[in-house]
Amino acid sequence: MTQRKRLSNTQIKRQSGTFVSQGDDDDTTFTQPSNTQVQRGLEKLTPSQVDQKTAEVVQYFLVKDQKKIPIRRADIVKHVVKEYRNIYPEIINRAAQTFDKVFGLKLVEIDTKNHLYILVNKLEAAERAPPIETPANPKTGLLFVILSVIFMKGGVVKENLIWNTLKKLRVDPGDRHEEFGDVKKVVTDEFVRQRYLEYMRIPHTEPVEHEFRWGQRAEIEVSKAKILEFVGELHEQDPQSWSQQYREAHAPQTPSQPGTSSQR
Amino acid sequence: MKRARGAGDDEQPPRQNGSTSRRKGDPEPVSNGDGGESAFDPGDLQDEDNDPGLRREIRSKYRDLINTIQQNREDMVSLSNNKLTEVLEEANKLFKDVRQAREAALDAQLLVVATDLGKEKASMLFSEGTAFDPAVYAEHLLSFMGLNRLEDADDEQQNGGVDGYLPQDAWHRLSRRAECCFRTAPSFHFMRGSFHAEPPPPKQRIERQRKAPGKEAKRIMPTQLKKMEDSHQDATVKEVERILAYLKGYHQDDPTTPISYYEFVIDPNSFSRTVENIFHTSFLVRDGLARMYLDEAKLPSIAPVEEDEVEAGGSCARKQGLVSINQKIWKELINAFEITETMIQPPSTQDE
Repeated sequence: MTQRKRLSNTQIKRQSGTFVSQGDDDDTTFTQPSNTQVQRGLEKLTPSQVDQKTAEVVQYFLVKDQKKIPIRRADIVKHVVKEYRNIYPEIINRAAQTFDKVFGLKLVEIDTKNHLYILVNKLEAAERAPPIETPANPKTGLLFVILSVIFMKGGVVKENLIWNTLKKLRVDPGDRHEEFGDVKKVVTDEFVRQRYLEYMRIPHTEPVEHEFRWGQRAEIEVSKAKILEFVGELHEQDPQSWSQQYREAHAPQTPSQPGTSSQR
Repeated sequence: MKRARGAGDDEQPPRQNGSTSRRKGDPEPVSNGDGGESAFDPGDLQDEDNDPGLRREIRSKYRDLINTIQQNREDMVSLSNNKLTEVLEEANKLFKDVRQAREAALDAQLLVVATDLGKEKASMLFSEGTAFDPAVYAEHLLSFMGLNRLEDADDEQQNGGVDGYLPQDAWHRLSRRAECCFRTAPSFHFMRGSFHAEPPPPKQRIERQRKAPGKEAKRIMPTQLKKMEDSHQDATVKEVERILAYLKGYHQDDPTTPISYYEFVIDPNSFSRTVENIFHTSFLVRDGLARMYLDEAKLPSIAPVEEDEVEAGGSCARKQGLVSINQKIWKELINAFEITETMIQPPSTQDE
């Protein structure tokens, strides 16, 4: 409850009641309705109506999440919630609970400014490979390499370091790879849009150079501890021998890390 | 020369490893030392150092040093040697001879590049424990992915350089192990594929149905047309014969009295019938079955040609005449000749 109030307090604009059923326009001006507005809105609807709308939002999320590209609040409001936008917080709240209890997933708002959501698994992955051999996505391995290098190098790396490392693994961004295709596009476009990586331009560089960092999705979805563990295995070293990384990997979850399902 | 701030670090890295001046050489205070990065004091030019050859030489040496650092970057960064330091000492020596802005600018550029490398080198040391070398890491990864290094040199074509054969499932192997590090939500897909409604089949059916009637219609058309053409032709011919019959009949009734052409063709009840009569009568004249002449009153008359007078091709002189009529004239003719009834009965089948 308190979180909801905090969220509405941070809103700069507050249009009291004027946004109710405005049709499909002005999604960008959608502001989070206040607590009282939500309550009023709920009174006018039957429970089954609200449940129905919640179910639609859940299904929308599940399908949209296939590509792992974050889902925008504006899209949810425009395509699913529509005229129920005045009780949007309640719907999202219920959807999050459904994800939590039914699917074992966490609904996380990774960008509170632009209002982007992702779905993350609540359950920890199995210790080793799962008993059923599902076909692994090779892009996972590629992503793992990049994320692990960034992490071990302190969180930021110049793009050339990544390209050179990949070249050693027979993956050349200049050539077409038989598994990954256009490697540069996968790394700098797909992974970035999925928010696994951040690919930022370094100012004042000529020719233009970029840096790689972990993206918002990676921060939530990827376990640094497990990465360190695997790196240790590969080097046949104790993970604790990289003390800085070890400390970072085992740091307690900070409050800014969205981890609770009531986050909207 | 001292650069007090971490010069060249235009972007501050998130982690400063307490790196100070990397120059191990003797720092010499030089007047233009502080303006090292960009603008220079042009007043520092001295005459004896204006020798362009020497200037060029210094600049060239600086460029060489910069190239050395950039080309052998990985070598420089490696913790196993002091090459970076050697380059910096070299540059320090060069700097003693720097007099002009251009050379100093190169010196600054060299410092930027060297500092960059220095930062990278230091970052490898920053962890109190072991350093992390991506090159070594890559080797371990290749081993994990099942790189077979025991192949002969024949396999050098595999991406040049590194020997060894990477198996097909190399990346799958790595991915399976790496998946454990991810808390990815499983992708949701419908078990039976996505749901398509029925529209496609009906579309085909509709098309077929439309095509069938079209074909049949086309088949019917040609036969009908033929019939119609015949009837048209028959109609005209029949009409002409009928008129000829009337003409002969009237002539037989009174062979001596000429038949007034106008009285013959005009139908006082219908202008269109009158025109048709003129039209059909003209066929008779054309075919030589009837002849038109002017009687004593100089009025056109028409009479059938006797059968023995009929000559195909017409040896007698043929003249052409144009008959035109409009409603006004038609009415005038009716009044003038006092035509009360038509001489050519309209055919019963025609609709007026």
